[in-house]
Amino acid sequence: MNTWQTRAVSLGLAIAAWEIGARWAGAPFLPPASAVAVALADLVASGRIAGNLSLSLASLAAGFLLAVVAGIAAGVVMGRYRTAARLFDPYLNALLAAPNLLFVPILFTLFGASRATQVGAVFLHAVFVITATTQTGIREAPHALIEMARSFGATERDLFWKVRLPEAQPMMLAGLRIGVLYAVKGMINGEMFIALTGLGALIRTHGGRFEPAYVLAIIGVVIGVAVVCSAALDRLYRRPGAA
Amino acid sequence: MIDIRGCRKTFAGHDGQPPVPVIGGVDLTVADHEFVCLLGPSGCGKTTLLRILAGLIPADAGEVLIDGRPVLGPGPDRGVVFQDFALLPWADVLQNVAFGLELRGDPQEARETRARALIQAVGLAGFEHHYPRQLSGGMQQRVGLARALAVDPATLLMDEPFGSIDAQARRSLQDDLLRLQHQHRKTVVFVTHSVDEAVRLGDRIVLLTPRPARVAEVIAVDLPRPRPPSLGRLARFVEIKEHLWGRLMGDPEARS
Repeated sequence: MNTWQTRAVSLGLAIAAWEIGARWAGAPFLPPASAVAVALADLVASGRIAGNLSLSLASLAAGFLLAVVAGIAAGVVMGRYRTAARLFDPYLNALLAAPNLLFVPILFTLFGASRATQVGAVFLHAVFVITATTQTGIREAPHALIEMARSFGATERDLFWKVRLPEAQPMMLAGLRIGVLYAVKGMINGEMFIALTGLGALIRTHGGRFEPAYVLAIIGVVIGVAVVCSAALDRLYRRPGAA
Repeated sequence: MIDIRGCRKTFAGHDGQPPVPVIGGVDLTVADHEFVCLLGPSGCGKTTLLRILAGLIPADAGEVLIDGRPVLGPGPDRGVVFQDFALLPWADVLQNVAFGLELRGDPQEARETRARALIQAVGLAGFEHHYPRQLSGGMQQRVGLARALAVDPATLLMDEPFGSIDAQARRSLQDDLLRLQHQHRKTVVFVTHSVDEAVRLGDRIVLLTPRPARVAEVIAVDLPRPRPPSLGRLARFVEIKEHLWGRLMGDPEARS
């Protein structure tokens, strides 16, 4: 069996287990897979998924792109200059550890129920992990390669562009892959808090009506978005020469 | 010509350790086109001496002159070959060999032509687009050698370049190095802890004391060139080897 066949079998078994388990347990907040599928079909057919998904994806794209630019810039500076690392490391670690839900109410008080709050939530969820991985990648460039490049007359600028940055690339990519997953969480957290537009708002609406099958169907769509984003980033850059 | 006068180096101690004197006053002259081996016990400071020659670290005292000019940093007159190869893992053989030319600012086409010629010269034709991890240690060091030769330095500084390479590949690398040195008329300063290797390769062997390194003895290797694989059977080869082993193993003079 190839990877895709293995995954299909695994997914089929998981759905079957879910269906049987949910029917047996009869818990109101764990509807069986079939009920979720029906809810999803209704959401898609009525156009509610498409409309809200496009709004959500716009916030996600804007917030994540800002996080990539700011995170890489901050990470490069902190990886390259020890003073910057000493100054900002404690804050970075604190913000990495902080529960992400903390950000949304603050943004809400600043920007109200606006697009800025939603983009800000995505940004703040993703930016710190991108900063931290970039910093580590830049800082850990092997001394042997730096010395080799210097022996061939490399300037500091050469060292950065031709040794440190390419050396940091796999680490940075790992940061982007984790960052995009956090960004999706940020998107939902922001939308659920504001409860105005997007998939998060849709979750709130159906949650308020006690329609768990609809809630799970939307969460399934959100997970789908996260998986697609992560896989796309993975495709974007594969280290050449990898075995 | 390389002229080292009264070179000293002490490393600062870490975490409250006392400072470590590594080079304790070395005087040495290397003539143009000469092949000089620096031989000494592990950790004696021979690599540090080579790094000072390369301009990667400064000496604390003394002078290092190349053709009468003091060494202030790395320069295009010296090409370094590293013990751990130091190849860029994300670049293929062609890009690695051309790296020095790229840093120097040669146009793309010129550096590719030159790199291809050197890849050929070190026997790696056909591997231009392989990545370092796809090559054996011996082949990786051939890339390192080609990269150093590509910038056409007058002097090759080689830091235990074949130390981690298996015996068979090492023998063939040694033969190729001698051939290339002769063809390209390079001066070579070659650090090794292998007595056999020093005698096979060197015009002269500079025996260093244990740390801090000083010159214990300079031995002229009066063996014919080119040096065939059967060199090891010559009585004179064995004699020089025995002498060096004697000095390395507890001969009190070597510890002076």
